[in-house]
Amino acid sequence: MANHNIPEVKADWEATTGIWGMSIDMDMCTGCQACVAACAMENNIPFVEEKDAGYGRSLHWIRIEHTWQGEYPDVNATSFEPIMCQQCGNAPCEPVCPVFASVHSQSEELNLQVYNRCVGTRYCANNCPYVTRVFNMRDYDRPDPLSNQFNPDVTVRRRGIMEKCTFCIQRIHKGEDLAKSEGRDIRDGEVVPACAQACPADAIVFGRIDDPASKISVMAKNGRGFKLLDSLGTLPRITYLKEEKTYGRTG
Amino acid sequence: MTEKISRRDFLKIAGTGAAITTILTGCGPASRYTTREPYIKMPEYNYNGQSTYYATTCRECAAGCGLVVRTMQGRALKAEGNKYNPVNLGKTCARGQSTLHGLYNPDRIQNPGKHSPGDKSFSNLDWNAAINQVADALKGNPDGIAFLMGLAPDHLFDLVADLCKSLGAPEPVRYSALGLFEARATLGEAARSVFGKPDLLFFDLANADVAFSFGANFLETWLSPVAYTRGFAKMRQGTNRRGYLVHFEARMSQTAMKADEWIPTAPGTEGMVAAALGKLIAENKAGTAPAAFSNIEYARVTALSGVSFETLKRLADIFGSAKSPLAIPPGAALGLDNGLETAQAVLMLNTVVDNLGKPGGVFLTPASPLGNDYQRGATAKEMTALVEKMNAGKIKTLFIHGVNPVFELPHSLGFENALKNVSTVISFSSFPDETAVAAHYVFPDHSGLESFGYQRVPTGSGQSMLSGAQPVVAPYYNTRATADVLLAAGVQAGGKAALSFKDEVEYIQSKLTALVDAKDGFFSAADMPTFWAQFQQYGGWWQNSASLGTPTAAGALDRALKASPAQFEGDGEFILLPYVSPILAEAGANKPWLQETPDPTTTVMWNSWLEINPKTAEELGLVNDEVVKVTSPFGELEVTVLTYPAIRPDVVAIPFGQGHTAYGRYAENRGVNPANLFGKTFNGAGDLTFAGVKVKISKTGKTNPLSRLEGYTRLAQSEPKQ
Amino acid sequence: MAVLANAAPHAQPHSNSAEHDHEAHLREEHLMLDPRPRGEMNAMVMDSMHATGWKFWVIASILAVIVVICLGYYWGLMISEGMVVAGINRPIYWGIFLVNTVFWIGISHAGTFVSALLRVFKAEFRRPFTRAAELMTTFGLVQAGLSIFMHMGRVWLAFWLFPYPNERGLWPNFHSPLSWDFLAINTYLMSSTMYLFLPLIPDLAMARDRSTGWRKVLYRILALGFRGTESEWTHLRFAMNLFAFAILPVMFSVHTIVSWDFAAAMRPGWNSTIFGPYFVVGALQSGLSAVAMVLIVIRGNMKNMKYFIRPEHLDAIGKLMLIISMAWAYFFFNDYMVQWYGGDSWTKVLLKFHEEGPLGWMWMSMLILNVALPWLILWNKNWRRNPVILFTVGFLINIAMWFERYIIIPTSLSINRFPFTYQLYKPGVEVQLSIGTLALFILLYMLASRIIPLVPVWEVQEGQMAHSLRKFGKEHVVTVSDLE
Repeated sequence: MANHNIPEVKADWEATTGIWGMSIDMDMCTGCQACVAACAMENNIPFVEEKDAGYGRSLHWIRIEHTWQGEYPDVNATSFEPIMCQQCGNAPCEPVCPVFASVHSQSEELNLQVYNRCVGTRYCANNCPYVTRVFNMRDYDRPDPLSNQFNPDVTVRRRGIMEKCTFCIQRIHKGEDLAKSEGRDIRDGEVVPACAQACPADAIVFGRIDDPASKISVMAKNGRGFKLLDSLGTLPRITYLKEEKTYGRTG
Repeated sequence: MTEKISRRDFLKIAGTGAAITTILTGCGPASRYTTREPYIKMPEYNYNGQSTYYATTCRECAAGCGLVVRTMQGRALKAEGNKYNPVNLGKTCARGQSTLHGLYNPDRIQNPGKHSPGDKSFSNLDWNAAINQVADALKGNPDGIAFLMGLAPDHLFDLVADLCKSLGAPEPVRYSALGLFEARATLGEAARSVFGKPDLLFFDLANADVAFSFGANFLETWLSPVAYTRGFAKMRQGTNRRGYLVHFEARMSQTAMKADEWIPTAPGTEGMVAAALGKLIAENKAGTAPAAFSNIEYARVTALSGVSFETLKRLADIFGSAKSPLAIPPGAALGLDNGLETAQAVLMLNTVVDNLGKPGGVFLTPASPLGNDYQRGATAKEMTALVEKMNAGKIKTLFIHGVNPVFELPHSLGFENALKNVSTVISFSSFPDETAVAAHYVFPDHSGLESFGYQRVPTGSGQSMLSGAQPVVAPYYNTRATADVLLAAGVQAGGKAALSFKDEVEYIQSKLTALVDAKDGFFSAADMPTFWAQFQQYGGWWQNSASLGTPTAAGALDRALKASPAQFEGDGEFILLPYVSPILAEAGANKPWLQETPDPTTTVMWNSWLEINPKTAEELGLVNDEVVKVTSPFGELEVTVLTYPAIRPDVVAIPFGQGHTAYGRYAENRGVNPANLFGKTFNGAGDLTFAGVKVKISKTGKTNPLSRLEGYTRLAQSEPKQ
Repeated sequence: MAVLANAAPHAQPHSNSAEHDHEAHLREEHLMLDPRPRGEMNAMVMDSMHATGWKFWVIASILAVIVVICLGYYWGLMISEGMVVAGINRPIYWGIFLVNTVFWIGISHAGTFVSALLRVFKAEFRRPFTRAAELMTTFGLVQAGLSIFMHMGRVWLAFWLFPYPNERGLWPNFHSPLSWDFLAINTYLMSSTMYLFLPLIPDLAMARDRSTGWRKVLYRILALGFRGTESEWTHLRFAMNLFAFAILPVMFSVHTIVSWDFAAAMRPGWNSTIFGPYFVVGALQSGLSAVAMVLIVIRGNMKNMKYFIRPEHLDAIGKLMLIISMAWAYFFFNDYMVQWYGGDSWTKVLLKFHEEGPLGWMWMSMLILNVALPWLILWNKNWRRNPVILFTVGFLINIAMWFERYIIIPTSLSINRFPFTYQLYKPGVEVQLSIGTLALFILLYMLASRIIPLVPVWEVQEGQMAHSLRKFGKEHVVTVSDLE
């Protein structure tokens, strides 16, 4: 008989639940793309123009998925589902990078992409089951004066490197710095990534999942909650809440 | 002022500046403009590494959402929602997010200029020459002057209205394609006939538990999309139970996708369906139906609309038994010859379930703090009157600001040709759009984020409010506020044209005087400077409590509705359902990120498309990415086919927003403008029956692959469930 | 055991004419039984290096131009413009560059296989073509390495993959299969180059003694002063034996490790435990076919090579190809069965996409060319021995094996767990760069054939000394004496 007490081989960070998490209520998400635009504006994401965009080379860090089911008139669209980096606790992108450009941050417990270190093997993107990583195919042209808008807190990426959603780590750091300067712990709701801040429906909630009292922790326990591809054991930090098109549901 | 700062002063300011991280008051560029300086000599409101935040108003549409723009070292970095502004409460849509791509657009007009109409390049003028030109025009016969402005009821509109009044010139006209596609005049006229007030109405979606939308795409562009999206989210989270949304439209729009049920009604029968639901509910309740529904025969409604009686009955039960039901009148269905009846029918449905003035029901919008004497946007009929005046040579000088009528008015109305009969056309556009190209002079206004101002909020907020605007950065180019140009020209022209205001800010302050000590304000002040500072700081002024009016429908249910199906022009086999692109709206095509933002329903980027039911496409032998010619009696265009699973087989749809021939590198020669297919007939309220055209579709043999974010889902026929 | 010192031919003159015919036939058939004087054989080999016609230079210059354009201009373009000129997109982040990498590593496998494995098992037919195969190993690995560099988004930082001490204390991530890959390929490149060089030393010494001018200088340096003394031979033999045994596990491991790039990833279709041996057999499949093609080209175009490379060798390689083709079919079936039986829904989508998707023709032709074609043709001895037929079969097998890698990499990457993101792959500058690597391979080989004796003369001579034809009664029997 197999010994059921064999300890699983896990890295340090896997045991913990993570610090930052997100929940996305697909019942409220209207697919309006405000988060997509907000993310691009905050994170200096370039546009790639028509031909490349149609060839799967757009650099959206968030994509809002939906697919069609059935045929007219019994046709239905699946819920709008914004998909970005899930900041896995056990991220498949991390071990495969030969140069440690995709690493796990121990302080924020996020998946970092170290732009300076990336040599562009694109293995991380192949191994990401959520297909959320995007690659800088070239140096993207942002004709003057569009470049005035660059966010100085975020690196402008050059050609040949991977990038992905960072949970707006620059905002997390600002929040942490402020909390530290005031000698306190960071408050729930103090840090909001660009997508959550823009979301007109408030479908995206961001906060500390290590605090059981935070809004995000409460939402993560919602009965409608699920994680994407949970069975792969990637420990994603984003909880999705199902859209249930039923009449009279309470709570 | 920066030149005068000593080193000592700088250090002092630098010390205090560290604390200034929240929204700044009017002491920055808000007081007056500063010049751009190298970073070693920074303006005093800046501090190395610290951001400065300015509250202002989003100018991407007329909804009046508040923005807070993050700036650093004189550059605007990011637009966020203003959490105080009652319209959007800190939220934004994709267009609001991309507003900086307008401010820093590489194709902005950088200097005042003149050219011969049709020419895309301008020869530069200086501002004195420009003001001379405007002054000459103002000196002429007042009857020969016309102002055409954007839909937003803002300070500039007030100023121009005052100027016209003083001169004795005709009142300025406001127009936008959004007003056309939402048929706002029809909605207002229906409100007048049912409730006695020509109002855009406030639909309290947030507190409704069942909402029936008859084609209003309120999650996309309708009236105040951010406000309605907030309402929708609240409805879904309902305090007691999740709100239920049913959408009636021929095509599954983004709003319909979010609805719990989508009922594909035949175009033009939405009003009959609403009336039939009203009749069923009334009969359930009281046994008899009011006179309003006397013309409704269920068999005829089901036959014409394609909605089965069982469905009607089931929906009527849901709606009738709901605690706070709400029926929202349509967008496109109002742009039909029976549009007015449709709007009336939906308002009567609300009346039947008696939700008028109740939570989750229909309200009258609050009065503007500056009085309600501003007119609504012009209907297409009124624009036709303007076009006729132009053609008759009665208009010598046409001033155009904040609107691009050559693009936004349907071709059939003949605006572009009429422009040729106006001897002087002066555009104040920031962009080389079609109208600016067709004009004689372009005297560029600042972009919205470089301007002062206020804007009334016609709908979307329960509070009486003004959204305030201030420059978040110093003007990037040699542009000048149109208000300042008009005031200066007025002084130069002398006589009645001379208004007694030094500049734009003084004019705005004069208008705000009445609010300084107004009751129930979000803030109050003892004097104008303090009020002005807070007005800038909070991004406007509003009352603390809602002041929504309760509509009364006395006697409205006693008049019988006509209940006739819509008539369509043309002998094509498909009804054309045009809708405003949710991402681009009427003026977003020049912003590269909006172009690259996928359409929510089709995920197409950077182009236009024709939506057609896959079965119909198969019958016609059409496949995706094939280019077809679409012909209406009024025009034709070539557009790429996209099979869309959720559209009625007898309907095709084309989004409005692309098809520019000018308007900068990101917009030009991209996609098509479905307005070129529209006719020239008007409904009872004077709105264009833009959705009442039938088109023919023929093959061209060309293909033009569409860029879609959605990959080739068809590659894998069997998609496993997760 | 001073074998070479005793250079007297073993063959005995015969008088009987019928017997003579039979014996002549055997000698014509088998190189090992058809010895020629040592001096003559050396001269033949030297001659084959020197006899360079104008056609050679025309072809070589065309190839050089292709290499300059494809690898110089287009690669330079890709480095300066970015991967946008290639065909990759989301989700197909790996394209033809890695197809080529795996393909060239596969080609390089045959060299070691033929040379080391056959040497270890003392397969005598190997003798004349070990070097031709080893050269393929080295030059194939060069192309594989180049393809990896082409594939990198920031190739100018490729040195970060090396574990070198640096002030930042940063090392490569040894968890990453790509790091394993990098180390494995480097190990293989170095060991195969040494393994190529060791048996070359006596031949270089021979060439040194028979040339003048710059060649003499070159050979003198390369031959490391080899004089053919007893102790030199002893050391050389020891080193070669050592390497032959040592390089075999390297050879098997390197392609297994390459397969782990895929097998270690959590993608449907890639995450397969059979990938290791499957890739090794696939490599042999394409590599042996490539050896056959190269031998046929050499035999047809180089002077004196018809003596060294005879139908018996084509026959032997043809048999090997047939066996490997059967092994490949087994592993393909095994892989397919395991994936299909695994029941993962996404893998099912992938398999269906392979078979019925837009590139279904590629999947079908892979099976036909890799399995049906060799099985139908190579069983026949006469067809095996026909250079034209064998060349065609080898060529088609290589096409099929390239298809196989194409199906595993870009085609499989079309399918992931989010159907919303599915895309097709349209190669861009990959085409030119692939042509460039192929041209560089052929060019290097052609130039090497002018400098390096493509036939290991001493090995042939050694074999011929060991072989003798004896007569027992009426029967001629080939006997091989153990030289060790």
